[in-house]
Amino acid sequence: MDKKKTRIIRIIIPVTTFILFILIGEIVVKVFNISTITLPAPHVIVLALINNWQTLILNTGITMLESVLGFLLGSLVAYCLAIGFVYSPNIRLAIYPYAVALKSTPIIAIAPLLILWFGNGLESKIVMSALVAFFPVLVNSVDGLTSIETELIDLMKSLAATRRQILYKIRIPNSLPNLFTALKISSTLSVVGAVIGEFTGASKGIGYVINTASYYLNTDLMFAAIFLISLGGILFFYFINYMERTIVFWKQN
Amino acid sequence: MIVLKNVTKTYKTLTDKTEALRDISFGVSDGEFISIIGPSGCGKSTLLRIIGSLISPSGGEIHIDGLTPIQSRSLGFFSFVFQNPVLLDWRTVTENIRLPNEILKKQTRQPEELLKMVGLEGIGHKYPNELSGGMKQRVAIARALTFDPKILLMDEPFGALDEFTRNELNSQLLGIWNQINVSLIFVTHSISEAVFLSDRIIVLTNRPATIDEIIKVPFDRPRKQKIKDTPEFNEIVKWIRKKLE
Repeated sequence: MDKKKTRIIRIIIPVTTFILFILIGEIVVKVFNISTITLPAPHVIVLALINNWQTLILNTGITMLESVLGFLLGSLVAYCLAIGFVYSPNIRLAIYPYAVALKSTPIIAIAPLLILWFGNGLESKIVMSALVAFFPVLVNSVDGLTSIETELIDLMKSLAATRRQILYKIRIPNSLPNLFTALKISSTLSVVGAVIGEFTGASKGIGYVINTASYYLNTDLMFAAIFLISLGGILFFYFINYMERTIVFWKQN
Repeated sequence: MIVLKNVTKTYKTLTDKTEALRDISFGVSDGEFISIIGPSGCGKSTLLRIIGSLISPSGGEIHIDGLTPIQSRSLGFFSFVFQNPVLLDWRTVTENIRLPNEILKKQTRQPEELLKMVGLEGIGHKYPNELSGGMKQRVAIARALTFDPKILLMDEPFGALDEFTRNELNSQLLGIWNQINVSLIFVTHSISEAVFLSDRIIVLTNRPATIDEIIKVPFDRPRKQKIKDTPEFNEIVKWIRKKLE
């Protein structure tokens, strides 16, 4: 009974804030007579959303596709590299400093270069997205693959286990909680990466829509676009979150 | 039969040499229960790991039925239980117990039988998170026995448990050891635990550890907790305590 109550409360409170937020928006715009170009009232944004829904959904879809593909590419490469690091300290020495250097480079500084190399289409955005998703997964996976209790490694050695057996039976499952922590971070970052890529040069995607809307001072359309892409990002995050709960079931509570 | 002859261990760093073990020689016959006791940090665990071939000695010889520790290890002679039960959180109890079988490709006892032996029938489907410390350690013992090892090597297995659970597990361990034919080498820093369990106790000195004395424990088996109240028992405990002080 109490559990049900707390669950309902957990939904009601954020929904109330949302409604309040919208109401305040409407009142502020009305009272201070703010122009639609600066801050459109919530109902104007909703209208923009309804009037342009086809373009908006299509372009949000394109950006989300870029994000998800980039996320998958970046995480996959990072995880494989992390396994390589575990096998060979030399690979780690050779690559890790440059991975850190890459992390410290502002992604927006590389964006024009990526457009130059991979063109104006989806590819450059996928690479951009992959680059931002890459680093958190690399660091966390190395951590998860290597932080094994010494007694557990001793136990495996006493059974004459091979390195491969230790990898599959111990290291990989042990790395999953860390991996998912990283994937949650990367899922949101990858959307940022894709949008930055679209700002730099694109003829499709939500970043492109926002850019053009800004050019024509269609602030209501900009808000609608921002709303949809953040919704996409949230859904992506919660999907990873759901996967984590199912796969890393032993870390709950 | 395990034979150690003049086993030494020296740790070398660039600038320094630390002698951990010096001239350790003793034998363990089949099915014997041996405890190793000594001041903390004296190298008890190192000695156990050398016998189980997790660490190689710097000098001396070790034979297990005429084989080297490395050969014995690859044949699945050894089984370890540590103070930390190190169960895999993502596997059920039964799957945890099966882990050694998956690696050695050798199974002589079923998980259910082993769980019954350690007094945990019917919990095979649970996950380690759902178990208490004492239960986890029992599962670790069950896991250690699934392929009928020749030698069970235990490194302070009950060191993290409260006294009540420890006594219970001591009695249970003796029961299990009595049922199956296994030599047991048991590292502990509890003197009364060593006296209660063992056929013989190897008392080590401070670093570099040498054998101070090997004490034979005269009590008949099966042993009950109440032998701890006898004067002979306390006599032995006192004798060992004096050596360690």
